[in-house]
Order: sequence, then C-alpha cells, then structure tokens
Amino acid sequence: MAASVAPVADIADRGYAHPEVLVSTQWVADHLKDPNVRLVESDEDVLLYETGHIPGAVKIDWVADLNDPLTRDYIDAGRFQRLLRSKGISENTTVVLYGDKNNWWATYAFWVFKLFDVKNVRLLDGGRLRWAEEGRELVTAVPRYPEGNITISGRDDRSSRAFRDQVLEHVNHGKRLVDVRSPEEYRGERLHMPEYPNEGALRGGHVPGARSIPWGRAVNPETHTFRPASELRTIYEAENGLHRTDDVIVYCRIGERSSHTWFALTYLLGFEEVRNYDGSWTEWGNLVRAPVEKP
Amino acid sequence: MDQETRIAWLVDHSQRPRFKGSLPDADARVPGGNPGCGDIITMYVKAKPGEDRIEAVRFEGVGCTLSQAAASILAERMNKEHPTFAEVLEFSYEEMVDILGRGIATSRPQCATLALGTLKGAVKMVETNRRLRAAGHTDEEIVRVRERSGRARSGS
Repeated sequence: MAASVAPVADIADRGYAHPEVLVSTQWVADHLKDPNVRLVESDEDVLLYETGHIPGAVKIDWVADLNDPLTRDYIDAGRFQRLLRSKGISENTTVVLYGDKNNWWATYAFWVFKLFDVKNVRLLDGGRLRWAEEGRELVTAVPRYPEGNITISGRDDRSSRAFRDQVLEHVNHGKRLVDVRSPEEYRGERLHMPEYPNEGALRGGHVPGARSIPWGRAVNPETHTFRPASELRTIYEAENGLHRTDDVIVYCRIGERSSHTWFALTYLLGFEEVRNYDGSWTEWGNLVRAPVEKP
Repeated sequence: MDQETRIAWLVDHSQRPRFKGSLPDADARVPGGNPGCGDIITMYVKAKPGEDRIEAVRFEGVGCTLSQAAASILAERMNKEHPTFAEVLEFSYEEMVDILGRGIATSRPQCATLALGTLKGAVKMVETNRRLRAAGHTDEEIVRVRERSGRARSGS
C-alpha cells in the first residue's frame, strides 16, 4: 500500500446502527489468507474482474448469476445454493462483497443474499475504487476453492422486496417512497439523452409522493466510503423527513442504485422497514395507468 | 476461441483500443450512450467519395470494458473490410454478440451493441446527408433540418 488517499474514520466510530456489516480495506487486507472469508466481486462492468481483482476474490455477476434467465426475477434457492457452493461458500464463511460504481452492484448482491437469508455477509466500505486508490494489490489469477456446504432453504421476498401493487398501495396511503435516481430522471426530463437509446421506459417522472434523494448522497465522494451516521441522518431524516420507524420503499431504474440506499437506511441508520422495488422505473414507467407525477 | 482467450482478447482491446480518436474530416460524427451505466461512444465515419462504402471509422468513448472493447473491435473490422453502407446496416446485433462471445456479451447486450448501434446511426446520417445534398440542400440547411428533427424526436 503506497498511494495517498483521503483518510476515513473507523467504521466503529461513525455511529452506524449495524457497523458489523461493513469492513474496511485494511480488514480485508488482514484477512486475505483467512479460509473462512470469501471475497466476492460484483460489478456493472462485466469484464472488470478479469482485468484485476482483490487476491482470492471470486466473481458473481448480477445478470449471469443472480437473475433468472427467463423470467424477470432472481434465481431460486436451489440455484443460489449451487452458486454459493461453487464459490466455496460454507455455513461458517464470512462473505465480503465489493464492486465498482461505489458498490452499486455489491449492495444489489448483498440485497439478494439477504432475500435468501444469508447471515454472514458484509460489504467492503469504499468498494473496489477505494482498494485500488490505496494502491493495494489487484491480481488476475482466478482462484479455485473446494465446493462449499452452505444450505439455502428458500427466498423470502416479503421483508426487503416490494412489488408494483405494494408501491401503488404506498401511493394510495401516502406512505414513504424514495426515488434515488438523478434529479433529471426524477423530474421526467430525461428518459434518455438526445440520440441515446431509450432504456425501456415510455413515461418520465416519478411515483407520486416520492422524495428525490439520489443514491450517491450516501457516499463521501473523496473517500468513496459511506458518510457517517450523523450526515446520513441529516440527508434522510432532517432534510427529507424520513423516520426510522417509517414503512419505506426505495426505487431507481432497475433496483440496483436503490439497493445502495436500502443498505444505507437499513444497516447504517437502522430503519426498521425498508423495501427495495426492483421493478423500479423500467416497470412503473411502462405500466398502463400507473400514476406518474412530474413537478 | 476458448473463454479465457476471448476474455484476454476483449481486455486487450479495451486497454489498447484500435482506431480510437477523432476523425477531423469525417462525414458523420454521432454520439451514443447508455445513460444507466455511463458508457459513451462517439463514432466518426468517413465514406469513400462517390461510393456507398466505408472508408474509415474511428471512435472516442469512455465506459465499461465490454463497450470500449466492442467499439475497438468494430472499428478494426470496418477499417479492414470497408463494407458497404447496406452491409453495415444489415450487420445484426446478434452477429456482434457472437463476435464478442455470447457467454459474455449476452449478459450486457446494451454494452455489447452500443458501438454498432452508434455506427449504424452514423452511416444513416451519411446516407441522408448525401440524399439531402443531391436534392439541392446546403450543408447549413442540413444542419438546421437535423436540429429541428432532433427537437421533434425528444419532444415526442
């Protein structure tokens, strides 16, 4: 480690509700040889892992590995179990997820892991970028591990996942919705840039009543790590009136950016009832007669 | 090509892109992008004078490994084969996915085909501009027509 990067406070000192779900780059560096720790890289860039990854890390791709190839849904418990076992993950393994784009896809994977009730899963604070900017080692060697023995008994979509009918109920009852897309997408000014392909929504705007809180606000842009709880409370609670006992649904375009906010609200601020609407705008913006609001 | 070799080939194109840069005397310069993931490609196309055929292609861009590798591979192919406009427009997205490797490209079809879609847009622009010039329009008029049609599209 040689590069000079902006310093960051210890995770334990940032006031998070569940600091145990985050690990630092130094923690990862200290556990590179730990057989009970499995590093998992999950990226937007499908070939980024192949250009170099943290030593010992395996790859899980959100499309190829986590999505059902036919139905717009996630894989079932049997396939998820086979996937994790193929990565050498056992009951006693601590899984540490990390990835590009400030951990967009790592938090998305984290969210999917939680749908399957994987207990011991953590996130590398600052993600791949922090690790790289600290000048830490990246390698191209793909590790092979013996088959793991983790048991996945099922997937529970009730507590952390929202579907369109539940979003509509939220709208009708004036419950809390958070739109984490860019302000331009929220305002319906941008479905796609001029000359750029439309990424699948026929209508622009936001779900009525949703607050606009872009996902990136949860991250310190200098360190790429999560902001301390005090700053997160200012953003989500003081500025936008959310309360930790609120029933909150978060959404974006396909549920990846909103999984980042789901993570921040659930684990860093200790919100009790946050669900991620993974149908998000690619579903809502195409849904016949779905109510849409534009400022 | 096995998977490992294919990945190495794609990564190499991404890290050492061929035909990257602007083409000052291009007949068309067309931007394209995937706003969701931040891939941006600008394609420059120069046509052979008097022929409906590619003379040169270059590109500029930033984005993920696959989108940039695909642009480099496509540009290399265009500059080697000098296809006709019709051949470019018939070049299917499925064929592009096959070239890049179905095992990799099918998981990111937008990244895999961004360069091809943008190239097709550039070729169509060259064709249209030629038709407009043949109909007696000046380059300034063509620019004005394009600006108007651009507004019409974004407002539709």
